[in-house]
Amino acid sequence: MEIALIGNPNTGKTSLFNNLTGSYEYVGNWSGVTVEKKVGVFKNNIGHLIDLPGVYTLNPLSKDEGVVTSFFLNESVDRLLNILDASQLERNLHLTLQLLEFEKPALIGLNMIDVANKRGIHIDASKLSGVLGVPVVPVVARSGKGCDKLVDVIATKSIQPTKKNLVYYGKDVEEAITALIAEIIGKTDHSARFLAIQYFEGNEYVQEYVNSIADSEKLKTISANLEIKLQEIYNSKSLANFIYLKRKEVIESIVADVARKSNSDIPLSEKIDSIVTNRILGMPIFLLLMYFMFMLTFDWLGTPLSDALDALLTGPVTVGFEKVLTAINASEFIHALIINGLVAGVGGVLVFVPQIFILFFFISLLEDSGYMARVALVMDRIMESVGLNGKAFIPMMIGFGCNVPGIMAARTIETSRERLLTILLTPLMSCSARLPVYALFVGAFFAGNKAFVVLSLYVLGIVVALILAKIFSSTILKSETSLFVIELPPYRLPQFQSLWRSTWDKGKGFVRKAGTFIFAGSVFIWLLSYAGPNGLNVDMDHSYLAAIGNAIAPIFAPIGFSTWQASASLITGFLAKEAIISTMNIIYFVPNDASLQGLLADYYTPLAAYSFMVFILLYIPCLATVATIYKETASKKWTAFSMIYAFAIAYVLSLIIYQGGRLFGLV
Amino acid sequence: MIASVLIGAAIFGYAIWHFVKFINKSKKGKCAACELKNSCSSQCGIPPKVK
Amino acid sequence: MFGSLKAGDKGKIIDISHVGHLVQRRLLDLGITEGSEVCVKCVMPFGGPIMIESCGQCVGIRRKEAVQIEVERI
Repeated sequence: MEIALIGNPNTGKTSLFNNLTGSYEYVGNWSGVTVEKKVGVFKNNIGHLIDLPGVYTLNPLSKDEGVVTSFFLNESVDRLLNILDASQLERNLHLTLQLLEFEKPALIGLNMIDVANKRGIHIDASKLSGVLGVPVVPVVARSGKGCDKLVDVIATKSIQPTKKNLVYYGKDVEEAITALIAEIIGKTDHSARFLAIQYFEGNEYVQEYVNSIADSEKLKTISANLEIKLQEIYNSKSLANFIYLKRKEVIESIVADVARKSNSDIPLSEKIDSIVTNRILGMPIFLLLMYFMFMLTFDWLGTPLSDALDALLTGPVTVGFEKVLTAINASEFIHALIINGLVAGVGGVLVFVPQIFILFFFISLLEDSGYMARVALVMDRIMESVGLNGKAFIPMMIGFGCNVPGIMAARTIETSRERLLTILLTPLMSCSARLPVYALFVGAFFAGNKAFVVLSLYVLGIVVALILAKIFSSTILKSETSLFVIELPPYRLPQFQSLWRSTWDKGKGFVRKAGTFIFAGSVFIWLLSYAGPNGLNVDMDHSYLAAIGNAIAPIFAPIGFSTWQASASLITGFLAKEAIISTMNIIYFVPNDASLQGLLADYYTPLAAYSFMVFILLYIPCLATVATIYKETASKKWTAFSMIYAFAIAYVLSLIIYQGGRLFGLV
Repeated sequence: MIASVLIGAAIFGYAIWHFVKFINKSKKGKCAACELKNSCSSQCGIPPKVK
Repeated sequence: MFGSLKAGDKGKIIDISHVGHLVQRRLLDLGITEGSEVCVKCVMPFGGPIMIESCGQCVGIRRKEAVQIEVERI
């Protein structure tokens, strides 16, 4: 049995999905967390549950909403599970009425009854069920209350809707519906009435579908005649608006019937909002929060933890491996492979796990609390001036964790031009895999003000993105239309458990990658550094790796790092940015107490180190990001463009920083 | 000596396996990395045309 | 006019038809249309967006679109 989960954005569909399937999918407190279809198996194995992006109506405006409409048209589903936000019943019922017109077995999960009660809204679920003709089960998706009941109802009851044609659209529309049904009846498995109404509403996906099975000219005439008629008789603005108003009438009578309102106190949200979206303090508060996040990650908490982990790995762990290797009498080759290759390469990346988890914790906190949408609001003025809108800031913030989900999050942006622009610029956001490089270099060269230097890099990424947005939007991606309407969800206190889960969910990818790809990469990098044209165990400067690095090293001389070591690590960085750090650990491997940080001072000046960090920040996105850009834009041209412009801008900026810095007498 | 060969073979085998897997996964982008890919029939199949 | 409302003011939407089609659709999705009562929550500086509340939900829209919405103060 296939059950589709559908509802308005930010009504808790994914929370419910996680509860019903026992899986863990990405949840957050803003509209548009889920941008693609996800399938899970019910806990008690009664069927598949399909999580869809949130929509207000089946007539889509943005790409994530299109996912839902094309799902309805192209795939078969046995049951619809409609989630309603009890505190926003009127708005939610618009979608419900459209779903019921689809004439599939349906049931309703009435979510957020706790929030509604707090606002003084009380809804009679059994009455609602009676009016709509489908079962209604009250649930609290966040805590899982009521989910068992929901599963029982799905599994046992026959839930064919008992009422048909809940909304009567008036004589004229109904006549036109009948006429359109006559054209398509028997040619489709979908409800003909549903298709007819959606056609009249101007749903492009449905129009395309219907035109493919019937005479498009005839349909067009029916629709046009109806529109003219309605204009003459009722002075209606448009056909879509007429249908909307008819639905609204029905909804108002339903709500008056089932909901009871009482007085309530001012929600906490409004008090917090008056501070964080304050006209003067909004931006400074955001920057202060970011600064606090970086201090905690790099100074107060993250670095001491990383240092402790580093001491553990280079000390007891290495000694332990050495002992075992000696005991089993391992050959020199194996000894070098494990100590110089694996422990250095994998260990060098694992050391940064504490810092990455702290960063992810903050990103999860932003997502879960409801602050994300406020940031978009606060940022909109700046974004508008560069040809984007505030919503584009959300993918960019997500990009701080990992660019891949960041680019996916751009699906919620309504206009295709702004979406493309956001996809192209999100890779400039410094993802968590780039963080170890900064941590290493600031530790070696800028110990005094670590957090500040790293913050400067993150801000540089944002500033470059904004400048490029301005350039692109006034040259290659010119267009007038821009849309910014954003729903600001109420704040909620994040639960520690869900916060920890989403932190772990994001962070475990980093740990897993260290054990798989970084492990593999370390082996090959080490092998390339161990072998050379003259045989095995050569001096590293005569290894294959040195030969490869030397081949491209001259390109980087003007920007401050012409060593083969730097070039070699940049090449591996294309596969995954963490690989830069494991490559460096292997190349600069020092068996004694001397740390990599100390050794780096021999190869870089502070100025060259900063130039290197800027280059790492901006140069070609990693392989997985490039693949996602290709998937999302479906264009080889734009994918290639995203790689080329990033490399060019990285080179130019590093050049300005390095040569400019030297002019001012910096080293 | 036998231990060395065994360890070496294990490490290189594991490394090659994951290297190939990683490159394949990255090239496919998000879908392959998704844990639900086996039961997911959509394959990110969204019509490109949305205004 | 929306432009004349300050934070804390309440109003009723009379005419929304001058706003761009996409914005109109999105506001309609959120249940904000002619006849809706709205309350201005805050106004961002430098001509930034404004935050309005309607039926217990908050929505951010741009100033330039907001001034095209005709409201009557209540």
